[in-house]
Amino acid sequence: MISWWKGAAFALVAAAGLAAPRAAHATDIELFFPVPVDGALARNMSGLIKEFNDSHPDIKATPVFTGSYDDTLLKTRAAIKAGKPPAAVIMSANFLTDLSIEREIAPMDDLIAKDGKTPDAFMGQFFPALLPNAVIDRQVYGVPFHNSTPLLYINADHFKEAGLDPDKPPRTWAELYDAARTLTKREGDRTTRWGLMMPSNYDYGGWILEALTMSNGGRYYNEDYGGEVYYDTPTMLGALTFWSDLVHKAKVHPAGEQKGPAVTGAFLAGQASMMIISTGSLTFIRDTAKFPFKVAFVPMNVRQAVPIGGASLVQPTGLSPEKRAAGWTLIQWLTSPEKSGWWSRATGYFAPNKAAYDLPEMKAFLEKNPDAKIAVDQLANAKPWFATYRTVPVRKAIEDELQAVLSGKRQPKEALAAAQKAADALMRPYVEDTALRLPGAE
Amino acid sequence: MTHVLDSIPAASVAEPSVARAARRPRAGLLLPLALLSPSLVFLALFTYWPVVEVLWDATHAVTRRGTRFVGLANFAALFADPTFQRALLNNALYALGTVVPSLILALAFALALNGAGRVRALMRAVFFLPVMIPLVAAAALFLFLFLPGIGLIDHHLARLGLPGANWLGDPDLALSAITVLTVWKNAGYYMLFILAGLQAIPDEAREAALLDGAGPWQRLRFVTLPALRPTFAFVGVIALLNAVTQVDHVFVLTKGGPSDATKLLLFYIYEQAAERYDAGRAAAATVVTLGLLAALTAVSLARGQGPEAAR
Repeated sequence: MISWWKGAAFALVAAAGLAAPRAAHATDIELFFPVPVDGALARNMSGLIKEFNDSHPDIKATPVFTGSYDDTLLKTRAAIKAGKPPAAVIMSANFLTDLSIEREIAPMDDLIAKDGKTPDAFMGQFFPALLPNAVIDRQVYGVPFHNSTPLLYINADHFKEAGLDPDKPPRTWAELYDAARTLTKREGDRTTRWGLMMPSNYDYGGWILEALTMSNGGRYYNEDYGGEVYYDTPTMLGALTFWSDLVHKAKVHPAGEQKGPAVTGAFLAGQASMMIISTGSLTFIRDTAKFPFKVAFVPMNVRQAVPIGGASLVQPTGLSPEKRAAGWTLIQWLTSPEKSGWWSRATGYFAPNKAAYDLPEMKAFLEKNPDAKIAVDQLANAKPWFATYRTVPVRKAIEDELQAVLSGKRQPKEALAAAQKAADALMRPYVEDTALRLPGAE
Repeated sequence: MTHVLDSIPAASVAEPSVARAARRPRAGLLLPLALLSPSLVFLALFTYWPVVEVLWDATHAVTRRGTRFVGLANFAALFADPTFQRALLNNALYALGTVVPSLILALAFALALNGAGRVRALMRAVFFLPVMIPLVAAAALFLFLFLPGIGLIDHHLARLGLPGANWLGDPDLALSAITVLTVWKNAGYYMLFILAGLQAIPDEAREAALLDGAGPWQRLRFVTLPALRPTFAFVGVIALLNAVTQVDHVFVLTKGGPSDATKLLLFYIYEQAAERYDAGRAAAATVVTLGLLAALTAVSLARGQGPEAAR
C-alpha cells in the first residue's frame, strides 16, 4: 500500500515540478494546517497567509488544509516519505514526542541561535505550561501556535430555570454530579435534556479522560519518557468510573460514543445543559449560541489540573536550507504577539505568546469577553498533554475501552487493564530499544 | 478491479501473436509488444510491482533495528490479533448485511420499473440518484441524519414520542447504521444490471409460460429468476467487492469505532500501515483479504455460470 502511494506521490510531484515554472526569486513553501474544532478556521487561515505573502515578497507560502490532527500527522508523514516535506506544519502538540523519536521533525535550535537568541530566551515568550510538549530532550522541536484546555460550558438559562446560580458553576465533581442531576429532564423513558455531555470520539475522548484523570490527581503518562502510560491506576479508575456513573448510574449523560459536533450541537440546541469541550470552540459557541452561556474551570476531585491541547508549528527533516529558512520566517511571523492574538480572537484558542495579552486590542477584547479570560486563567493549572511513542494507537487503546465502558460493554476496572496491556504491547519495541536495552544483554 | 477486466482482452489478443512468434520469432513479437507496452508498463508499475512488494512486506518485519525475513510470523501474529478477528467477523456481517438486502431491493425495483413509461423512467432516475453521490458526501449527509438527539432520524422519532438512539456511537448499532447507508447507496446501482438482465430475457419464454397458464409468481420463480442467474452472479461479485473495498463512510462516520464495532478489513489494514507503521502485518492482512476475495469471487462466478454452460 505504502509503496504504491509513494510511487503515485512521486509521479504527482514530478508532474507538478514540470508544470509550474518558478516565480523569479520567491521561495515556494507549503504550510500544512489542520482544522480540529468547529468554526471557520480554514477561511481565517487563508486570510492570514495572504497577509504574510503580501508583506514578504520573497516567499510564497501556500496553506494546505490537511483535515483533523490525526490526518495532518498522516499526511505530513506521507509527504516526508514522498520526499516533499512541507516547510512548516501546524502539528498537534502531543505528536512532537513521537515525531522526534522517529527523527521526522528537526530541532530548531540552530535557527534560533542564528537570530542571536538562546533557546531559553526564545521559548520564554510562551506560557510555561506549553514547553514540555515543545521542548524535548532540551531541544526546541516546536513553536506553540494555538493552544487550548478543556473548559466547562454551562447554559445560564437552564441553570436559572432549575434554581441553580449560573454565576456559581460547579467547581467539584460532587457539585457537577448534583447539578447534572438537577438539570436533566425526562419524559417517560425519553431524556429530553441531558445534564452534561462530554465528547468521547477518537482524539477528543482521550483528552477529556486525561482532564478528568488529572483533576483526580493522576499523571496519565510519563512526561519524561515516551514508553510509559499509567492507564491501570487508581486515579484513572476514579476518572473512568465517574464518567461511567454519570452515564449508567445517574443517567445524566447519554450512553455510547459522543462525537465533538454532536456534543456542541446538543448544547446549542438546548438538549444538553453543560458540556466539557475545548476552549478552541469558544468563539464558535459565542457566535452561535442563542442563549446566555458561561464557562468555568473543569471541576476537580483531588486537585485543579487539566492538560493543554492545541498545536505547535514544526519543521520536518530533509528540507532544503532556503525552504527551511523561509518556513522559519513564516513560523516566527505566525507566532508573533500580534498574529497570535488575532488568531486567538478569531478562534477561541488562547494565544501561546504571553506578550499578546499586553496588546491594547487584546485587552479590549478580554474586557468585552470575560469568558476568554477564564480560558487563559486556567493555564495556571495546566499540565502537559499525553505524548508517547506511537501516540495515536496508544491513545486509541484507551479510547476503545472508554467507548466500551460508556456503552455499558465493559466495567471500568477490566477496561483499564485491557487498555494498559494493549498500550504496553504497542510501546514494546521502543521500550526494548531504550529502557530495557541493558549492558551485557546483546 | 477494472484493470483485471481490462487485462483479459489484452491477454487473449496476445495469445495468437505468441503462437505466430514461434514461427517468426522477432518481427512477430515486437509489434504486439510495442503496442502493448504502454499498458504493460502501467500494469507493471501499478499492479504487478505492488503485488510483489506486498508479498515481500508480508514476510518481513521492520523493527527499530532493521528489516529481516520472518517467514509466516506476520500471518501468525495477524490471526492471533483479536482486532483482526473482529474485523473479519465485522466484514462478514457487513457483506451479508449489504449484499443480500441490496440485491433483493434491486430486484424488486427492477421488476417494478422494467418497461417504458414516463413515471417508470422518472422513478428509475430517482432510485439511481444515490449512486451518483460520492460515498464520502453520502456519509457526510448521513452524519447529520444519525446525530443523536438533534439528527433528522431522532428528530422525527421524538415527534412520534419514540426514544432515539446513538446510531453511530453505540457499538451494537454502529455497524447496522453503516450497513443501511451502504444498501441505500448501492441498491440503485445493482438495479441497473438487473434491468439489463430482464431486458435480455426473450419474450418467447414469458409468452410460453403465459400460454401454459403460469401465474405471476410462477413466471418469476421459473422463468425470470433462472434467466437472471448469471446477472446475479456478476452483481453478487461486484457487491462483494464493494463490501471489502469501500470504506470511505467508515472513515467519515466512525473511524472503525466505537470500540472496533465498525472496523472492516480495509480499515484495519489502513490502521496497521498508517498509524502503527506495521507494514508487515498490514501486508499480511492484505494478502489474506485478497485471497478470501479471490476465492469467493471464483466460487460465485463458477456457480453462476456453471449450469448455463452445461445447458
